[in-house]
Amino acid sequence: MDWRRFGFIALIIAILFSVMVLIGRVQTSPIVIVTSMMATTIAVATPLTLGALSGIFCERAGVVNIGIEGMMLAAAFFGWLASIYLNHVYKFAPLPSLIGGVVAAVLTGGLFALLHALLSVTFKVDQIIGGTVINILAVGITGFLNRQLFFEEGSIFGGDVPHAPGTLPRIAIPILADFPVVGRIFDQQPITFAAILLVMVTHFVLFYTRWGLRTRAVGEHPRAADTVGISVERVRYMNVVIGGLMAGLGGAYFTLESVSSFEPLMTNGRGFISLAAMIFGNWTPFGAWAAALIFGAAQALQINMQFFREVIPPQLAILQISYVVGLAPYILTMIILTGIVGKTVPPAADGQPYEK
Amino acid sequence: MKISRVLLAVLLTMALILSACGPQAPDCSKPEVFCVGLVTDVGKIDDKSFNQSTWDGVKQAEKELGAIVNYIETTDAKDYDKNIATFVDAGYDVIVTVGFGLGEASIAAAKKYPNVYFIGVDQFQAWAVDDDPTNDLPNLAGLIFPEDQAGFLVGALAAMMTKTGKIGGVFGTDAVPPVWRFGEGYRAGALYINPNVEIFIVYHNDVGFDKTFTDPEWGAQTANSMVDKGVDVIFGGGGKTGNGAVIAAAQRGIYAIGVDTDQYYTLPEAASRLLTSAMKLLTPGTFELIKFAKDDQAGVGAFPAGNYLGKCGYAPFHELENEVPAEVKAKMEEINRMLLDGTLQTNVLPAKPSE
Amino acid sequence: MQLDNESRGMFWRSVLSAVRAALRAMLIPLLAVFTAMLTGGVVIALAGGNPIAAYVGLFQGAFGSARALSETAVWSTPYIFAGLAVSLTFRGGLFNIGAEGQLAFGAVAAAWVGYALPEVLGLSLPPIVHLPLAIGAGIVVGAIWAAIPGALKAYTGGHEVINTIMMNYISLNLVSYLLNGPMKDPDPLNVIARTPLIDENARIPPIVEPLRIHWGFPLAFLIACLVWWLLWRTTLGFEIRTVGTNIEAARYAGIRVKRILVLTMALSGALAGLAGAIEVTGLNYRHELGFSIGYGFDAIAIALLGKTHPLGVVLAALLFGAMRNGATRMQFLTQIPVDIISVIQGLILLFVAADRIVRYLYRIRVAEERVVLTRGWGG
Repeated sequence: MDWRRFGFIALIIAILFSVMVLIGRVQTSPIVIVTSMMATTIAVATPLTLGALSGIFCERAGVVNIGIEGMMLAAAFFGWLASIYLNHVYKFAPLPSLIGGVVAAVLTGGLFALLHALLSVTFKVDQIIGGTVINILAVGITGFLNRQLFFEEGSIFGGDVPHAPGTLPRIAIPILADFPVVGRIFDQQPITFAAILLVMVTHFVLFYTRWGLRTRAVGEHPRAADTVGISVERVRYMNVVIGGLMAGLGGAYFTLESVSSFEPLMTNGRGFISLAAMIFGNWTPFGAWAAALIFGAAQALQINMQFFREVIPPQLAILQISYVVGLAPYILTMIILTGIVGKTVPPAADGQPYEK
Repeated sequence: MKISRVLLAVLLTMALILSACGPQAPDCSKPEVFCVGLVTDVGKIDDKSFNQSTWDGVKQAEKELGAIVNYIETTDAKDYDKNIATFVDAGYDVIVTVGFGLGEASIAAAKKYPNVYFIGVDQFQAWAVDDDPTNDLPNLAGLIFPEDQAGFLVGALAAMMTKTGKIGGVFGTDAVPPVWRFGEGYRAGALYINPNVEIFIVYHNDVGFDKTFTDPEWGAQTANSMVDKGVDVIFGGGGKTGNGAVIAAAQRGIYAIGVDTDQYYTLPEAASRLLTSAMKLLTPGTFELIKFAKDDQAGVGAFPAGNYLGKCGYAPFHELENEVPAEVKAKMEEINRMLLDGTLQTNVLPAKPSE
Repeated sequence: MQLDNESRGMFWRSVLSAVRAALRAMLIPLLAVFTAMLTGGVVIALAGGNPIAAYVGLFQGAFGSARALSETAVWSTPYIFAGLAVSLTFRGGLFNIGAEGQLAFGAVAAAWVGYALPEVLGLSLPPIVHLPLAIGAGIVVGAIWAAIPGALKAYTGGHEVINTIMMNYISLNLVSYLLNGPMKDPDPLNVIARTPLIDENARIPPIVEPLRIHWGFPLAFLIACLVWWLLWRTTLGFEIRTVGTNIEAARYAGIRVKRILVLTMALSGALAGLAGAIEVTGLNYRHELGFSIGYGFDAIAIALLGKTHPLGVVLAALLFGAMRNGATRMQFLTQIPVDIISVIQGLILLFVAADRIVRYLYRIRVAEERVVLTRGWGG
């Protein structure tokens, strides 16, 4: 593991938190500020983490995937649609409807990934194109269907606002969540927990299993892998689809966990931020998760800075301009990428179609 | 020559498709046909927010006035003029333009097409000609709302209902004046009741204009963060971003306050914890102006050129009726009365001053 | 006479074969567009709409009148510039996702020169000076904005994809700040985040009043030719393409790779900044917050659809412009949501890229030619 990188990331998150505590302590106790920021950080990082894991699976096998944004958007829509269908048409209870929705979202991600695999692996189309196609199609399809099914009179849901079955319930980890104040961190929704679990699973799979070894072989040296009898096509297909399932779960976060409604373009570029997190984390699950946490912490800072607008000391008046605070995570990312934490190295065969 | 044969077939098919007769649109150029068109601001007609509420007003005109109605969604600000012209060319009688972004396009169009009525929603359209109040364009009305009063009302209610002394507000960008008026009105109302109340107000300024109202995830996170700090009333104002905050607040079991319409009906997920909504009655305001235009055209009434003040207020308490004490209800009615007769001023600027 | 006839025949034969070659090159893309529209038509029909009426509306809106044609040109103009900007980086083995930010900053610079410079200098500038200054400012600022990620890539290895994404967000925040603050139109009635109107002298005149088509449209064609000339007729272009296809070979050949990486990004940013400057000086006459949204990603699709060749980019930009423009009339006539345009555009890109599908559908056998467009993240 790249401890230097983690050290820097931890340092940055610590700095972001301390800034807020220093400013906000005159109004609110530091523990409350830190816990609340941590809760926000973890939740905001969830879709970014899942998106980054999606990218890691694809790219470790040598397939660039810039279509994560589209996969998440489509999954958010179809998962939400499925939960409403189950709830209203098939009269399922809210929780089973939501679980059905999550399944549908994950499968949607997988289906779009299958399209990407078909284009990139079978047709050997430029992989950037495959991703761009998915991004454009997802915007069009979700926007079109959202209108046709929910707005126009005479459509399936009759122009009525459908009652979505709510959001996934919070799960409090016993004992840990019972601590006063700090317990909030261990009281989160299921996809958030799942994302953290998947980081560990992905790490294990990639670095400690046969499958992971093959995946990395195909991403680094497809010809050598082929020679020893690994089917490059099969490995790439599987990994791209697994990546799609991850992105699908990330999409489910938006409509089934965070808020119970769909909005066109609601992923708002988070798929691209996940790509940044993936590269930032040097194509490793823990690295990507840490990077996602930086973006989460920065958003927590941006939200909190506005809470404490009135108590910002005059010598820091520039922080009162919310646009300035908004810049922080992006500038930090660029500084970190200059190499003070070492160069990022992509899989050697990343982006290259394999020709026998 | 195989290639050219295929190509020929393709071109022929395309030509066939394109030359086939188009749809039969009702002829709006006939004087007896009353047509109303709506041009959205950059955004969707089904935004469950201002575009949709305005469209509901237009549809009311379809039902009650027998109007032919249609809409065009603007995808880019440079299309404002083109979209208005599309309706004018088709002979529409009334064109509703939604959002302050179309303010200047509406003025230009009203000058260019004096026989068409223009209704500018959220547009300050007095003295459109030359700062002279007697010189309003006769065919242009700006539908504006005292959002600061609606914000003031729910701010006062929030300050009376909070037990922790901490209230919150989650809004779209404050660069949009109605949003700013809601937010600052909320602040002023809360301080009017209790100068010691802690107010957390967050505007979603850190993303583009296209996203500030459509980011429910951000709204939910911001609301959650407020709840973590002990806030027990949250006002969500600004399209889907605000809706995300309202839903999240309801999920955490605190009081939520909606915006624009009575969101008890539009956000069923939050209904059980929805205290009230800061109402901005776009639908009836739009319909009234369309009706004025029709009467004016028929020579039986007058079109109110210049600014037309729509109504604001607060929604019923619905399921929380019993949780709101009688003296709070009485105080709310008193404040509402004082705001309406002018004895109480919100002192909120019409728009955010430059930073 | 005899000879003359023969040479005339040769001339016509060569014209014919050139036309045939052009048709052959266009065949797959045309069939792709056709297939995508057919598929889109099926989607419309499945959703209960009338596809023929929709396409009639689309066609009328894009080409049906002088105004429609003019608006198609207006839509296409920034697409051409931005598409060229992205395609140039693809040729150089880079990926510029940040065209949107570069475009926004170019527009800010052009707007500032347009409304504030005469006041700062205390003199009125004639159009011959003022307009080029405004456009030039947009180009320079766009170039600098893009050169930053270029330099980071060349000298620190910081990945240009992340850095251009990050700089998109940075520019968004900075431009919001500028247009809400120091550069905001001071008119007391103005409540919008936008600059004042630029000077009359800094505006590109329309070609035919009252249509909005302006001289920026022909300029876009000229710039496309320039980009072609740069890439295939100059040493710099050769170096850019060499770095793009094989960075190691370029290094061995003695090309100063780092310098080329920075230059490629700067040139790309210059084109994107030009797109923003032209929108300000030719169309909007001011910078209003949010006008630049979406161009960056449309530009990626256009560059890929045009196979990163300037001519292809121009055609793809015209197609996208026509569809975006025609969509208004389509919705007006049929109430079909404009999102269907994105579906069709995605399908077009899909079929152009995966030409194997199109060939299979129409039983066309053409010698396989593989064009490497992009190189992923490597190197």
